[in-house]
Amino acid sequence: MRRAKGDRTARETQILGWVLALPALATVAALILYPMVYGFKQSIRSGGFLFGEKPGYVGLRNYRDVIHDPTSQDAVRHTLEYLLLAVSLELVLGMFVAVTLHRVFRGRGFVLAVLILPWALPSVVSGVLWRRVFDPDNGLLNSLLLQLHVISHPHLWLASGRGAIVYITLVHVWGVLPLVSLIFLAGLQSIPEEVYSASSVDGAGPLRQFRHITLPLLRPSMAIALTVGTLLAISIFDEIYVLNGTALNTRSILIQVYNTTFVQADFAHGTALAFLLAGATAVFGGLYALALRRSTV
Amino acid sequence: MSGTISLESVSKQFPGGVLAVDDLSLEVEPGEFLVLVGPSGCGKTTALRMVAGLEPVTSGEIRINDRLVTRLPPRERDIAMVFQNYALYAHMSVRGNMGFGLKMARLPRQEIRSRVDGAAEMLGLTDLLDRKPRQLSGGQRQRVAMGRAIVREPAAFLMDEPLSNLDAKLRVEMRGEIIRVQRRIAAPALYVTHDQTEAMTMGDRVAILRDGVLQQLGTPDDVYDSPVNVFVAGFIGSPAMNLIPATLSSEAGDVAVSFGTTRLSVPARVLERRPRLAEFAGRPVTLGVRPEDFAPAERGDGLANVTVDRVESLGSELVVYLDGGVGEPLTARLARQATLEPGQQTQLAIDLNRLYFFDAESGEAI
Amino acid sequence: MTSIGWRIAKFLAVLVIVVWSLGPIAIGVTTSISTQREVNDIPTRWVPAHPTLNAYRDLLQGTSNQRAGGTVTEAGTFSRSLWNSTVLAIVSTAVILVVSTMAAYAFGRLRFRFGGALFAVLVGTIVIPIFVVVIALFKLMADAHLIDTKRGLVMVFVATLTPLATWLLYTQVREMPTEPEEAALIDGCRRWQAFVRVVVPQMSSGIAAVAAILVLSVWGEFLIPLLLTSTLTAKPVTVQITEYVGKYVTNYPILAAAGVLALIPPALLALILNKRITGMLAGSS
Repeated sequence: MRRAKGDRTARETQILGWVLALPALATVAALILYPMVYGFKQSIRSGGFLFGEKPGYVGLRNYRDVIHDPTSQDAVRHTLEYLLLAVSLELVLGMFVAVTLHRVFRGRGFVLAVLILPWALPSVVSGVLWRRVFDPDNGLLNSLLLQLHVISHPHLWLASGRGAIVYITLVHVWGVLPLVSLIFLAGLQSIPEEVYSASSVDGAGPLRQFRHITLPLLRPSMAIALTVGTLLAISIFDEIYVLNGTALNTRSILIQVYNTTFVQADFAHGTALAFLLAGATAVFGGLYALALRRSTV
Repeated sequence: MSGTISLESVSKQFPGGVLAVDDLSLEVEPGEFLVLVGPSGCGKTTALRMVAGLEPVTSGEIRINDRLVTRLPPRERDIAMVFQNYALYAHMSVRGNMGFGLKMARLPRQEIRSRVDGAAEMLGLTDLLDRKPRQLSGGQRQRVAMGRAIVREPAAFLMDEPLSNLDAKLRVEMRGEIIRVQRRIAAPALYVTHDQTEAMTMGDRVAILRDGVLQQLGTPDDVYDSPVNVFVAGFIGSPAMNLIPATLSSEAGDVAVSFGTTRLSVPARVLERRPRLAEFAGRPVTLGVRPEDFAPAERGDGLANVTVDRVESLGSELVVYLDGGVGEPLTARLARQATLEPGQQTQLAIDLNRLYFFDAESGEAI
Repeated sequence: MTSIGWRIAKFLAVLVIVVWSLGPIAIGVTTSISTQREVNDIPTRWVPAHPTLNAYRDLLQGTSNQRAGGTVTEAGTFSRSLWNSTVLAIVSTAVILVVSTMAAYAFGRLRFRFGGALFAVLVGTIVIPIFVVVIALFKLMADAHLIDTKRGLVMVFVATLTPLATWLLYTQVREMPTEPEEAALIDGCRRWQAFVRVVVPQMSSGIAAVAAILVLSVWGEFLIPLLLTSTLTAKPVTVQITEYVGKYVTNYPILAAAGVLALIPPALLALILNKRITGMLAGSS
């Protein structure tokens, strides 16, 4: 662009732009980008840098170790289970909540206010609230099922592998569902009422309307919900930590990272596993971004 | 102490190459109200924003009150601007809005107070001074925007379609109001609009812009009576001038123009005024006829053969749409007495002294 | 008939949503006013026969003996962590708002060199999972003696949440009309004055919504403070609360009391600013 020399307005804009953007850029560069690079460098060296050893370059050995480590493999499997279960529950239940709360009714404002509470609470607190439900000795779930004679003796809910993952996922979904529901609700709100009127005139009932109008038009919202749900589930940590600690049967990748790095003080392998998880996250993110673009065009 | 606004060969090229304003030169004289008018996208707002300093100038110079301001930031240009959507400061009261510029200029509090009170009085805003903009009607917001501009006592006024968000009745009222205020302040004003009625009723002079190029600059009567080209002819005036593809013929010094089955002989006086017209004999021209220059046949002069298509009564007069055998429908404004029925084939008189001729190829007036 | 059927179904659906959302909170509240014995009864009591605030007293004033059933509390510990969380949330939010409002305006309005590229980098960091950063941060913060300080935690929260806040405010800047700030420029403001005096007030409702989201986020942070704090000089309530989870037996009334105290501030905030938060979440995702 040909800009006359000595244009003070343009120069002022340049300077102000830099001055205003600098604090944000500097903070992020110093505390996100630099540590990331630093961490990556540690992940291709041997030994724990915590102890000031002189570690040597080992290439991708740490990554290979982690991939072949059975505990890590279990953690990956668990994480996939959390992910699949959480995301499918969130999509189905989120759709249910959104459709229920879409139309105006008396008390809708109250229900919407109550709806976001689980999202607003710290996930650690969610875990604390739910813990009594699953307690093996005197939990509410056991108590209820015993009273209803569904089970004959208390069940160790968090001890069995598959079951524990289901219960932890439930707690996770409790906190994420409000967000997913709001995304769907916003999507529903953006479908013009005329589309439904027109299809009613054409003789479509509520179920066919849902199938042929609502679902297709909600595809962009679904892509967003899927992305948000995946990113939150793939790095699940807080709920597991509170409900079952670092127990092997419910260990997610991130719990495994925590355990490797801070319990076993093996920073190199911990960081390598963290970067593998980050890579997986990026792949999911990229795929969803593609899906999102396709569904909005 | 009233000054001028002058643009000398000002151009604006946006990144990407679009030439929004092309070599625009014009001068707003002391105390003058000059209207910059044109269809949307013609570059008029860009031109105004360059004068304000909100848009960098690609080339050319801008002077306000003989002071070179081309590269000065807006705050150093000593101007005031009224925006299309008023651009009031939503978090300040009316008084705060009007006094903001004075506060920035570090005027003493007492002075600010009295100036704001004075302007509020002039605009009938005295009772609203403590309100917030969202508590005001559209017309009141418009007045506040005006008030904010005048308390500054600027060297020049800039207005960007300030009336386009108002309803029709209020718009007519505010036209008069703006002119009245500007006369009192006596600063030169550059006013941008797409509405030719606003341009004609408000402007001391009117500048017509198209695709960034100045077409014509003159008093409203000038541009109405002597449009320099087809564009200006068609843009100024409502209903718009009929622009009819026609042929010019010349037999033994008798010049005639024909379209459809109509043949009109051009009076000698018109030929004197337009000496070049004779050169166009035998060539296609664009004939311009203002709707109000039609009259019932008995009034004499040249007669056009037309078929009545549709008649709209405006109460005071009739607007008649006609088929003159030229493809495009013709529009005529007739007194209410005229009795015309749709489908009727008839003859209408055309005031031959008020015919306009344009080169069919270049569109320039002949 | 169908319409009545639909209405009943709809009523039940709404009821399920409310119970699902409030149920765990209700259980937490009733547990916190129960006694340890009532909780241990089989069948357990859902609602205590003799509501008591003993759990809150034990939590805040400490348990002098082992009657707390496996959970040992110390006077002032929990309130210190609540205080830490409050300070962290308020200070971090204030700093992030200043930093990200400035950045959002710079990237949203001002054309400056490399602006577009830098914005892409800044917003791009939103998707960087925080855990690849925390491990290295632990080492870097230790070197800088920032481990277990509120200052250090605030710095990390600012870095991790600024990109998101900038993005949310950026979308707001882009939707705002430019005319008021142009009017301010003509009225005699320099660009930064127009920003401070006209743009920021114009953004106030968006800033409030982002502030609420930030307070909730900082209050809920767990992994970062778990790694970067060790004592009560900086430990927030989310980390402190996990100490009341017993290895073998858990004193549920005390744990629930801690949970209830930790959820009151975010719950109140979410209820008060509910409309703004939902609007911002739904609009910008």
